[in-house]
Amino acid sequence: MRLSWLELNDFRSYVRLLWTPHPDVNVLVGRNASGKTNLLEAVGYLASLRSFRKVPDGVLVRTGADRAVVRGELAGEGTSTLIEVETPAAGRRRAQVNRERLGRISDLLGVVRSITFLPDDLDLVKRGPAYRRDMLDAAAVQIWPAAHRDQQEYERSLRQRNSLLKQMGNRADRVSLQVWDDRLAHAGGLLMARRAAVVRAVEERTGAFYRELSGDSTRVVIDYRSTWGAEAAGDPAGWQAALGDALAAARQADLDRRLSTVGPHRDDVVLLLGGRDSRIRASQGEQRSLALALRLATHRAVEESVGAAPLLLLDDVFSELDAHRSAALSRILPDAQTFVTTARSEDVPLRGRRWELSGGELR
Amino acid sequence: MPGGRAAKPVIIGRVYLLATLMSRMFEPPVQRLIDELTRLPGIGRKSAQRLAFHLLNVEEDEARSLARAIVDMREQTSYCSRCYNVTSGSECSICLDPRRDPDVVCVVERAQDIAVVERTREFRGRYHVLGGALSPIDGIGPAQLRIEELRRRTLDESLTELIIATNPTIEGDTTAMYLARRFKPLGVTVTRPASGLPVGGDMDYADEITLGRALTGRREL
Ligand SMILES: Nc1ncnc2c1ncn2[C@@H]1O[C@H](COP(=O)(O)OP(=O)(O)O)[C@@H](O)[C@H]1O
Ligand SMILES: [Mg+2]
Ligand SMILES: [Zn+2]
Repeated sequence: MRLSWLELNDFRSYVRLLWTPHPDVNVLVGRNASGKTNLLEAVGYLASLRSFRKVPDGVLVRTGADRAVVRGELAGEGTSTLIEVETPAAGRRRAQVNRERLGRISDLLGVVRSITFLPDDLDLVKRGPAYRRDMLDAAAVQIWPAAHRDQQEYERSLRQRNSLLKQMGNRADRVSLQVWDDRLAHAGGLLMARRAAVVRAVEERTGAFYRELSGDSTRVVIDYRSTWGAEAAGDPAGWQAALGDALAAARQADLDRRLSTVGPHRDDVVLLLGGRDSRIRASQGEQRSLALALRLATHRAVEESVGAAPLLLLDDVFSELDAHRSAALSRILPDAQTFVTTARSEDVPLRGRRWELSGGELR
Repeated sequence: MPGGRAAKPVIIGRVYLLATLMSRMFEPPVQRLIDELTRLPGIGRKSAQRLAFHLLNVEEDEARSLARAIVDMREQTSYCSRCYNVTSGSECSICLDPRRDPDVVCVVERAQDIAVVERTREFRGRYHVLGGALSPIDGIGPAQLRIEELRRRTLDESLTELIIATNPTIEGDTTAMYLARRFKPLGVTVTRPASGLPVGGDMDYADEITLGRALTGRREL
């Protein structure tokens, strides 16, 4: 999958930009605040209709303009997809795929895929388990678009169950609670099945990429620690049953605390580097390499299961790596259309098309 | 001229429009209608203004007739005492129809869902309008729906089957599961139209053929 061309109108700092990127490696060079990340963000936005900076859509509209329009064409094996997104400063975004109105964001899933690595991705390793759960769930959606619906169902059912507990506490209607439990267990079984499959698909590869980057022989383990005995089961029906049992066992505690205390939403995902918890026991450099290795492993896993390489977006990654790691990264980068930003051209030891970015224009 | 500084009147039909871009306020009677229209579902400020100015331009009789239709509808309709469908008598035409099967009831979320099921021509029983679906987020539990009324009907009318045609959303599905748990112990068969409904969609969007097929192929809950 390659982005053939991109057009931006009033997107972030860009008034208007027409760009025909190189089908392989694109290195975007520019001073601070020259719009490098904005451009990468536009590519990601076209692919997912969401900003990877996790900001509301309105923020993407250039200050003073009333709407942003992003258009672009993606070429796959013998296919070509035109995506157009119009984002108003206030109100609902509208998108078209091949000139047909796109009903829901989720309909775009599976059409275009991209994997992004941002400086903030250090959070994957450093911060709480929610970051790692989200990483597994996001990878699942890239591989199986239907996972999106399971995740929404789980989240919605969880919110409903929590509302019931919060409002009613011990006065909660037991039959209602039971049906929300059943709902949650069903969606949770599917969610868990996806997470387990993602862990299986990326664990080995994360280790291999990590060792390339670090140049040592450290073992990487993705240790999924469940609050509800997920380890004992091994298929969606088994997980559904286990979660159903755990919810029943936790019922009194949940009624008392007015909160769902067990389930995939409370699970921990511990990344072990040489048997030690990387969150507290690894250096910043090791943490960064591990986060990068996770993203690269996900890219590879997605490519292998869907048969096409996702776009790869790397924001400012080389400036944070030492010479050894930079050289290693350029060796292991996948064969995919890649977009790399950097403030200093010499930091990026990659062959590829170099673009100078200044005054909102690319050269 | 409220809100209009140096406003220059422009004549459009019988309407004096304030041409000042700065002026947001219309003449109070116009503004009042715009405000009322804005409260309707799916009507934003712009559509409300368009409708209000349209009504200013139509024949007075036409405007009066619309106003009367709204008032008449409210004064001359109420909810069916049996199924909570909309009716102009005490029971709705479906409940009063002797050809309808009195043993089978199709449970829907809202009265307008009845029309969707009726269009399939696959269903010959009666209805029960719940008034929504379970959604604790919105403060809707069993007590906020017409579930107790359904229980009484099930016993009083000796119903043999309940077809739960709530929306195929998470809330609609969960409501169906809830009703199955509550009503099966009463000895009534509880079924759900087979899939074929767009998941996460509204009954409104289900086309007749899909829904018709779903009703004939319903499964027991
Ligand atoms: N909605 C917006 N409208 C106008 N300018 C914006 C908007 N959002 C961000 N910017 C500007 O974009 C610049 C940052 O661009 P960015 O791509 O993050 O820089 P970098 O090249 O360092 O990655 C800042 O000057 C910021 O003010
Ligand atoms: Mg940047
Ligand atoms: Zn009736």
